[in-house]
Amino acid sequence: MDYVQMVKESVDFLKKRVRSNPKIAIVLGSGLSVIKESLTDQTKIKYSEIPHFPVSTAPGHAGELIFGKWKGIDTVLMNGRFHFYEGYSMKEVTMAIRVFQIMGVKYLFLTNAAGGLNHTFEPGHPMIITDHINFMGDNPLIGKNIDEWGVRFPDMSEAYNAELISMAEEAAKELLIPYYKGVYVAVSGPSFETPAELRMFRLLGADAVGMSTVPEVIVANHGGIKVLAVSAITDRAIPEGLKPLTAEEVLEVANKTGVQIAKIFESVIERLGEELK
Amino acid sequence: MIEESVDFLKSKIGKVDVAVILGSGLGKLAYEVEEAVRIPYSQIPNFLRSTAPGHAGELVYGKVSGKYVLLMNGRFHMYEGYKPRDIVYPVEVMKLIGIKKLIVTNAAGGIKLSFKPGQLVFIKDIINLSFRNPLIGPNDEKIGPRFPDMSSPLSALWIDKANNAIYESMKERLESGTYASMLGPSYETPAEIRMLRKVGADMVGMSTVPEIIKANHVGIETLGISCITNMAAGVLSQPLSEKEVLDVANSVSKRFISIVKVIIEKTC
Repeated sequence: MDYVQMVKESVDFLKKRVRSNPKIAIVLGSGLSVIKESLTDQTKIKYSEIPHFPVSTAPGHAGELIFGKWKGIDTVLMNGRFHFYEGYSMKEVTMAIRVFQIMGVKYLFLTNAAGGLNHTFEPGHPMIITDHINFMGDNPLIGKNIDEWGVRFPDMSEAYNAELISMAEEAAKELLIPYYKGVYVAVSGPSFETPAELRMFRLLGADAVGMSTVPEVIVANHGGIKVLAVSAITDRAIPEGLKPLTAEEVLEVANKTGVQIAKIFESVIERLGEELK
Repeated sequence: MIEESVDFLKSKIGKVDVAVILGSGLGKLAYEVEEAVRIPYSQIPNFLRSTAPGHAGELVYGKVSGKYVLLMNGRFHMYEGYKPRDIVYPVEVMKLIGIKKLIVTNAAGGIKLSFKPGQLVFIKDIINLSFRNPLIGPNDEKIGPRFPDMSSPLSALWIDKANNAIYESMKERLESGTYASMLGPSYETPAEIRMLRKVGADMVGMSTVPEIIKANHVGIETLGISCITNMAAGVLSQPLSEKEVLDVANSVSKRFISIVKVIIEKTC
């Protein structure tokens, strides 16, 4: 079936199931599901129920959309994302973002767990993403352009909305949450990076490395959705004395950092205030 | 299968001194061809069709500056969803027709800070950051080697000759630069542009590299010209748009055509 039609059918299904016109969408990364506690009036819909939706297989990822109110604002939260390394196509990885775009979402908040490349970074802190390097070797917009969704060649010179970045910074300062700002490089994974690759990414100007987020951000920019993304720095991805890492360790630190990121996001929503009403 | 394309084209055209692949907004050279034979891609057996804006979809054969040329007006891009192997199919056809020289052109974003929109730059080398290679798959040794040398992907000698010719007629020379290819279709982020600058790229685009790799594979001498249509992301504090790219390409179209004509006349 045609991708446009698939998205449309997903949207139609969701509109029948929930009476929500979400303005904000949240995509939760590995171990960051604590954010979902902030939503009230929750309606959960399993991915498996939604026509054409892929099903998430990554550890630490559930597989449901949660519709609810966040600080009084209609919000949809993706509890469990789709990763390129799971074998999904870029179109599948980003399908939910298209569904959100058609449903009228204006702001996309993303989180992920990332390795800190910048040697000043300590694990357990949030990094507000200012820009990215796509090293995944693919792009979700490849193929015929759907003009009603966006332009053939979307500008990416401010992929991460500058206003939202300053709001997140103000929020973190007020909440006394130590934070970093930096460039996120996305790789396909699932193997972690080698020390030589980490040295290369550092040389190329990246501050943190991970296996997600960039596809969603490209599609959001294409679709005119403003993006705020915050990484939980879960470990030091530094080439000197790289320790073998388990998924469990990453998830544990992500959980702790997730609490801080949730607070920052809530405060940004308050700051956006009237714009969202 | 490729023989069908080759035989069809041989029945339509005669000898070719040089083939030219025209980039975004640079297609007007096709109007300058004398005794033109226009062959829409759709008529050529096994040829792809181009979907990119600013790209027609035809081969134009005829005379330019007294030389016989075959223009490819409308190219294929990876961001359109075409497989790299299919994108370079026309280059293999060119080889089998007997073409020995190829000029590739494109619209590119300027990474080198001294570049200005509208500037024409010879491509002296390439960085393939598209994560794709058109030669992946079984290799036919009759067409080219399994591991083609890429130590001189663009002819330095031809760049010299071309610059001398341009100097003789226009009293100027073009700069040369390294072209990095990205998949697209989203434009690069400022962080990606800083990365590209650091690794030695002077300009960036979403095309040309597959064709250059293929031309090297089959042994066609290649000259590349980029039209810097915009400064890449983050160089200036303004968003990038396709309109800007096509506008600039159109506005330098005349100069581009004069330069290509001189190159064809004096070096092909």
